[in-house]
Amino acid sequence: MVILRALNVLALLVMPLVLTGLVNRVKSLWSGRKGPPLVQLAYDLLRLLRKVSVYSSTTTPVFRIAPWVFLVTAFGSAVVTPLLGAGSLVSFPFDFVWFAYVWALGRVATMLAALDTGSSFEGMGAAREALFSSLLEPVLFLAMGALSLSSGARTLSTLLVPHVSAGNGSGLVRLCSVIALFVVLQVESARMPVDDPATHLELTMVHEVMILDHSGPDLAAIQLGSAIKLYVGAAILATLLNPWAGAGTAVSASVNFGLCLLVAVAVGTCESLIARLKLRAVPVYIAIALASAAVALLATAWRAGGGP
Amino acid sequence: MLTSVLLSIPLLLLGAVLAVALPSNRAAATVAALTQAIASLLVLGAVTPLLRGSSPLELTWSWPLPLGQIAFRLDALGAFFLAWSLPMTLVGTVYAAGYLRPYFSKGRHGGPHFALLNVVSASFVLIYSTQNALVFLLGWEIAAVAAWLLVIWDYRNQKIRFAGFNYLVSTHVGLFVLVAAFTLLHSKTESRDFAAFGRYLSQPTPTRGTLFLLLGTAFALKSAFFPFHTWLPRAHSAAPAHVSALMSGVIHKAGLFAFLRFTLLMGRPDEWMGWSVLAFGALSAFFGVLYTSTQRDLKRLLGYSSTENVGIAAMGFGVGYLGWSWNSPVLAICGFAGGLLHILNHALFKCLLFYAAGAVYRAVHSVDLERLGGLAKRMPATTALFLIGGLAISGLPPLNGFFSEIIIYSGLLSGAAPSTSRNVALVASAAGLAFVGAVSALSITRAFGIAFLGSARDSSLPIGQEPPATMWLPMVLHAAGVITIGLWPGLGLSLLRSTLGLIPLHASVDDVMRPLLPMLDASRVLAVFLALAGVVCVLRGRASRRTATWGCGYSAVTPRMQYTGSSFSQQFARIFESFVPALRREQVPTEFFPQQPGHVHSHHPDPVEQRMFEVLGQGEDFVVQAATRIPEQPRFAFAAGLIALLLIGALLLGSGQRW
Repeated sequence: MVILRALNVLALLVMPLVLTGLVNRVKSLWSGRKGPPLVQLAYDLLRLLRKVSVYSSTTTPVFRIAPWVFLVTAFGSAVVTPLLGAGSLVSFPFDFVWFAYVWALGRVATMLAALDTGSSFEGMGAAREALFSSLLEPVLFLAMGALSLSSGARTLSTLLVPHVSAGNGSGLVRLCSVIALFVVLQVESARMPVDDPATHLELTMVHEVMILDHSGPDLAAIQLGSAIKLYVGAAILATLLNPWAGAGTAVSASVNFGLCLLVAVAVGTCESLIARLKLRAVPVYIAIALASAAVALLATAWRAGGGP
Repeated sequence: MLTSVLLSIPLLLLGAVLAVALPSNRAAATVAALTQAIASLLVLGAVTPLLRGSSPLELTWSWPLPLGQIAFRLDALGAFFLAWSLPMTLVGTVYAAGYLRPYFSKGRHGGPHFALLNVVSASFVLIYSTQNALVFLLGWEIAAVAAWLLVIWDYRNQKIRFAGFNYLVSTHVGLFVLVAAFTLLHSKTESRDFAAFGRYLSQPTPTRGTLFLLLGTAFALKSAFFPFHTWLPRAHSAAPAHVSALMSGVIHKAGLFAFLRFTLLMGRPDEWMGWSVLAFGALSAFFGVLYTSTQRDLKRLLGYSSTENVGIAAMGFGVGYLGWSWNSPVLAICGFAGGLLHILNHALFKCLLFYAAGAVYRAVHSVDLERLGGLAKRMPATTALFLIGGLAISGLPPLNGFFSEIIIYSGLLSGAAPSTSRNVALVASAAGLAFVGAVSALSITRAFGIAFLGSARDSSLPIGQEPPATMWLPMVLHAAGVITIGLWPGLGLSLLRSTLGLIPLHASVDDVMRPLLPMLDASRVLAVFLALAGVVCVLRGRASRRTATWGCGYSAVTPRMQYTGSSFSQQFARIFESFVPALRREQVPTEFFPQQPGHVHSHHPDPVEQRMFEVLGQGEDFVVQAATRIPEQPRFAFAAGLIALLLIGALLLGSGQRW
């Protein structure tokens, strides 16, 4: 157990960098380039930490504290996630609700910092971010609630792992939850087809435009926070897909690790092959995820005998 | 002793009379605040042992004509509501003394206004402690009329008079429904005492459902549930800030109190009652938050947010009723604890937000989001206090709104319903609650970000300054309450312990809190890390450079180019256009070299109110047309009058029969 916890901490420190690098490497390979090193994010963070932050005279202390609030909340959500398939660092009843609300706190901090700059670009990013995330919350809760009902568990670590005693519909519940949570991952970590992290044109930005004015260590905090969110989302999907999740063995941990890499490859492939959706189409995309999560919830009512 | 509680009523009325009689505004304010303080102490002295679990206080007066026996009974439920209603009204009176000072310096006499605040306090004591239906109605009516008179402080403005009148009519419609319910109960029980009502309601009679719906409608009108909320936005926008705060935070909670009182009398509810309360609460929360996200008037926005929050509290009560009907004690206590704690939390952060909005109005004479901006530079303390209230109302950790919502979630997601399809419905409600929370975060980010951050959008507004001490001290008190209950919700729940003991099920607040204690620790750890982040920022702030905001190469950025409130919520409003229609007036220049400037004005009116006025207008047209078609001949009029007289006589004769 102690080894598992230590491995969890190690994964939390290393894997966000590796996954972000892997997504970028997959994108580069798809476009025929070799791409940056896998741990490029680590070099970027070190470079940013050495710089001095530049603040706009329009901003208030809200702008200065927001990136660190974002980083704290990203860590706060990561400690309740079973990063290696079993045994998160901290686990308590209804921690999946805590997870969602802590992400919401980070989001509100970033949006307020964006509005603080008094720039129309950043306000635009904050408006889009607010819209997409408010449509996404019910998706997250429906998927987590469905998993919780079908497995009878109340903590994130236990509701993600497959249960023998779960009824007939549990396979459908997990499949629909995976689809819904994949869309959640794409929206929350600002990936195509919802958002393009590589462009800086106002027509296409959501997250990138919100952080335009941050610099130096603040920007490092935000980039690390986003990487952690990407890893946490990938780890949740990996635990859902892992047939040996919950065992706490070396096999299940390494399968989880491999599945995380696979999810990153999938995210990168999606990003390379699908163009950015029109902004008016993103709510429709989220509605597809909502429908999938709703099917997952309804499938929990499907038992061997049928009927309520 | 209940006598000391009831003594506070004549004390408050004495304070009211003195406030009107004294010539100086300062003396009137002091007298009002002093009498309210003494009354609060009297009430708290009586209420504290009740909240610790002692038996209810009772008193009966004999007043043969016209009321017969008047029974007073203060139990833990009334004690809970009284414990914070009177102190918060006192805090509001202190705020009023500062807020209304510009009016006083122009020669306006504020005595009646302070007197009305005392009268409102007195009506609380009546409503929360009485057991007699007529005395209850008396207290209800006093609160309604006093609130109306408080709203129309600025009565010289016709719009404000209309808003007040709208509120008066709506609250009396609620009174009619309440009188109907009480009359029905009186006809069945031949008594006006709540104890007799309780004996009748706890039996499964066919009228039990009808009475539930009637009482629910009356109290929904008082507490501004959707679709009975139409008076709320106008009243809140028209009233002075402290009146909006007290109405939203304290006065309208009387509706929720009364609903709980009568359903407790009802005993174990039927399952459909629980589902209807849950659905009604969810509907209120959904529509309330949609309207909140699109308003441009800061006080209207906060008013709609009240509809949302009473919806959330009602969702908690719905879970409680469902748990009670399913004989699931922990679920029932969970729901009621969440709902009641949310009521207390809402009073704390809503009053804080309204006080901050009042400070903004006092500073720049506008609460229009499209014109505000950059207030944080000039009013940093108000900004910080509004931020605390805003984060609390969005239910974000580690503040108090988060914890009451968590308790409600723990009920909805517990899977304790007897069948899977019911569990599915509860989880769907939890997803709805999550949506409401996320949109509430959107609304508050929009309100706070547009009003306080960035730069001023309308440079013609005066440069603001911090409010005086009588105005920021109440805000600090409320913010302290918000933070305290956020980090130590056990304090709030300890107020509820005896109240929840009134529900005849074998579970207590500890059963609700036990699974949530680790989350509370996690919240506290999060608070510590956030405080650390703040310290790090302050220390790092020394080494930084200052420049202008990155303009993407554009060098002539003006504050008018910032995102406005309507642009922030525009795409969201467009998705929900059928629920939140926008009204847009525009005059767009058409020539290549326009001679006149164009303009665009958009706002989101209340669709329920618009439809209501439409229907009323159509009804009026119909009546007018029908009246013009009646021929003007004396014989027809005589015949019609005779028929009407016969009908009325028959009804009066028939009503003498016993059905």
